Amino acid sequence: MTVSFILNGEDVAVKARSADRLVDLLRERFGVAGVLPDCRRGVCGKCLVLLDGRLAPSCLLPAFKARGREVVTIEGFAQTDEYGDIKGGFADAGLETCGFCDSGKILAAAALLERNSRPSREEILAEMSAVPCRCTDPEALVKGVQAAADRRARRLYRRADQ
Amino acid sequence: MTCLSDLAPEGMVHVLTIRSPSARGRIVAVEPPHLPKGYRLAVAADIPGENRLRSLGVEVPILASGRVAYEGEPLALLAGPDPMVLAELAAQVRVEIEEEEPLLSWETFSSDQVVAKRVAVVGDPELAFSIADKVLEDAYVSGPLEHWYSEPQGALASFDYDKIAVRCATQWPYHVRDSVALALGSRPEEVVVRPTRLGAHLDGKLWYPSLLACHAALAAFLLKRPARLLLTREEDFRFSPKRASSSVAVRAGLDPTGRLSALDLRIAVNVGAHAPLAEEILSQACLAASGAYACPNIRVEGYAVATDSPPMGAFAGLGAAPSFFALETTAARLAEAAGQDPVEWKARNILRKGSALITGEPLKEEPPYDEIAERLAKASDFRRKWACYELVRKRRTDRGDGPLRGIGFAFAYQGAGSSLSGETPGAYAVEAVLDKELRLLIKTSAAVSGGSAIDIWRNSAAELLGIPLESVAVAPPDTDSAPDSGPVSLSRGIAVVNKLVERSCLAIQKRRFRDPLPISARSVYRFPKPLRWAEGRVEGSPFETAAWGGAVVEVELDAWSLEPRPLGVWLCVDGGRIVSPGRARSALRACAAGALGSCLRESLGCDEGRVAPSAYYRYGLLPLSELPPIEVDFVGAERRSAAKGVGELPFDTVPAAFLAAVSLAAGARLDTLPVGPEILASTEGA
Repeated sequence: MTVSFILNGEDVAVKARSADRLVDLLRERFGVAGVLPDCRRGVCGKCLVLLDGRLAPSCLLPAFKARGREVVTIEGFAQTDEYGDIKGGFADAGLETCGFCDSGKILAAAALLERNSRPSREEILAEMSAVPCRCTDPEALVKGVQAAADRRARRLYRRADQ
Repeated sequence: MTCLSDLAPEGMVHVLTIRSPSARGRIVAVEPPHLPKGYRLAVAADIPGENRLRSLGVEVPILASGRVAYEGEPLALLAGPDPMVLAELAAQVRVEIEEEEPLLSWETFSSDQVVAKRVAVVGDPELAFSIADKVLEDAYVSGPLEHWYSEPQGALASFDYDKIAVRCATQWPYHVRDSVALALGSRPEEVVVRPTRLGAHLDGKLWYPSLLACHAALAAFLLKRPARLLLTREEDFRFSPKRASSSVAVRAGLDPTGRLSALDLRIAVNVGAHAPLAEEILSQACLAASGAYACPNIRVEGYAVATDSPPMGAFAGLGAAPSFFALETTAARLAEAAGQDPVEWKARNILRKGSALITGEPLKEEPPYDEIAERLAKASDFRRKWACYELVRKRRTDRGDGPLRGIGFAFAYQGAGSSLSGETPGAYAVEAVLDKELRLLIKTSAAVSGGSAIDIWRNSAAELLGIPLESVAVAPPDTDSAPDSGPVSLSRGIAVVNKLVERSCLAIQKRRFRDPLPISARSVYRFPKPLRWAEGRVEGSPFETAAWGGAVVEVELDAWSLEPRPLGVWLCVDGGRIVSPGRARSALRACAAGALGSCLRESLGCDEGRVAPSAYYRYGLLPLSELPPIEVDFVGAERRSAAKGVGELPFDTVPAAFLAAVSLAAGARLDTLPVGPEILASTEGA
């Protein structure tokens, strides 16, 4: 079957088998390195993508489920202003990651801030539980997302002001 | 630094491992189906060099030959270009094993299973017990733990002109190099190891990457193409080394004044098949036998027990954590028996400067127990809460009175600078080069995760040479350019490598205004006097220096479900000079979160000598949403100049503090982790 969808802002179409998972399609057919097929049971958060703006583990998604939808990986998200807010916020809070979970953490933060511009500690930790990793300092992560929320608010305020 | 999953050179073949379906037996046949062109099955006989991996004095077969020693042991490798075809072919490989009854019991064991034994006696324990005012006996079991590192284990081998180039995430690049050279029958110089991003590892990538590197290199050698073996997370979960299970039986005696007068410990460690690191794990467990307490009469007897289970290994240290857990839990009970506040009881019994260690040597430094205990007690309001919670529990009439609460405190140390058996003294080095632009390049094979250790090296070098921090860089830990700096474990990244960086910089500084630039200097590490276990004694220094730390954990038990919920964790650490307080705090909080996970949720269920396939689907790290606030404080940073490793301290303290808190809340004696409602419901008193 042919699966057509929007990948990081571009219309794409690719032949896929019914058993193909989105994570494999993204890595093998589109060379997307920002998704990692790690646990393959939707718990590690290393293959997270934004599917129509919502966080989704691409290892649990059959490729055909992407048909007609918008898929954003960290590569695509890195082109947005929101990415700068979140990276900046993480840096402000001194949040360091192991280098394997950062794309999941950034996308999870993006999905949260899109729904809730001022999340509480509990809301942040609940959303970020989608990306469990041994490297995570929970307090720095909370501060990082809150700092990202501040940056985002300032940017949106400036934009509205203009 | 790139990660292994992203490396796929052109023409690369994938490698799958064909594993033993039986835990013990004789290999009768390993037969492939008809293989298409470009596919190859490799067995032990195809190894051009030696079919053994040397790991600290122990040998592990690269591929099983003749016999299998655990379920999942690699029997053969199947390599080819298409992973889907490989998976289909792997399912058709015929494996026949003449099965035998596996040896799985380790808490009770036969003498044939003992691969290492340690006995040390200090003073006269039997006499001390005979005159003790109170004697307590308890036994504690610490089960296997999964590292759940950032990336599953694997390796990529390819050809780089006349060399085999190996890429893998490893804590010990030179071990990978020497292992691959031995397997391929090459000279070590013909193999180059370029480590990939390590990520969080908790000492799970100490020796096992060398085995997988040998597998990848063998496939590359046979097929003359780059070969990558990358375990799936499930495969890694089921077959890679876990934390070795330990049982610690403790008998402790108190004199009439409530002081610890005698200790008798019997430690058994399940080291699994082939027993890599058996000597180290057992030594570390026995050296921590008295925990952080001064006791004039100690007897410790330890056994490393081989079973037909996957090889067990290190986990955030090499085996001291179960001993600390046992001793701290015993100490909490001794305080209760003596009718004292645990913080005060520990203060009376803690190691002090000059206290005799288990080796008979006096402790050279004063542990900052009083300062740490005071800061923790103040930050957590420990004394008030401890007294209140006990009173509230005693006065409860029924479950309608609301949730139960408890608070616990534990103290431990993290030794650094000890030598491992099988290591060559003087073999580890660091090189530094100061160029004409006054830029310093540090060369070391110490592959560290995170930036803390690198920060410390760069800061030390910049200060000693009086150059800007930005002028100091650390070269990639490749074996073709960096000298062998040994394994990054037991705080070596800080205790050993930083010392070598400082020495190299001092050597450069001496020559700096005399010799023309560039100047390079190489420093070699001299291990302190190695430990010697013989005739019921252990001699030598258990550690060169130590970081000290304490933890307080507060929990709440739901009155109806008995579900424990942590309310707060407080850590206080003396890690010497803290170069990057933010990074050190983050590292400690991340480790505390991991330690809390082992208290509440992480359980492998390895009862039948294997990790059941279903365990993978039940297993998970503690969700961030269930973590309480974790506060970290440092002491002694201004007094001491030397930086020390601190990452193991949460694993040495948080579990015992958690168990003490749950025991207080439930009014029950608990001796194992993780603790959940099913354990509490079946415990008398809960």
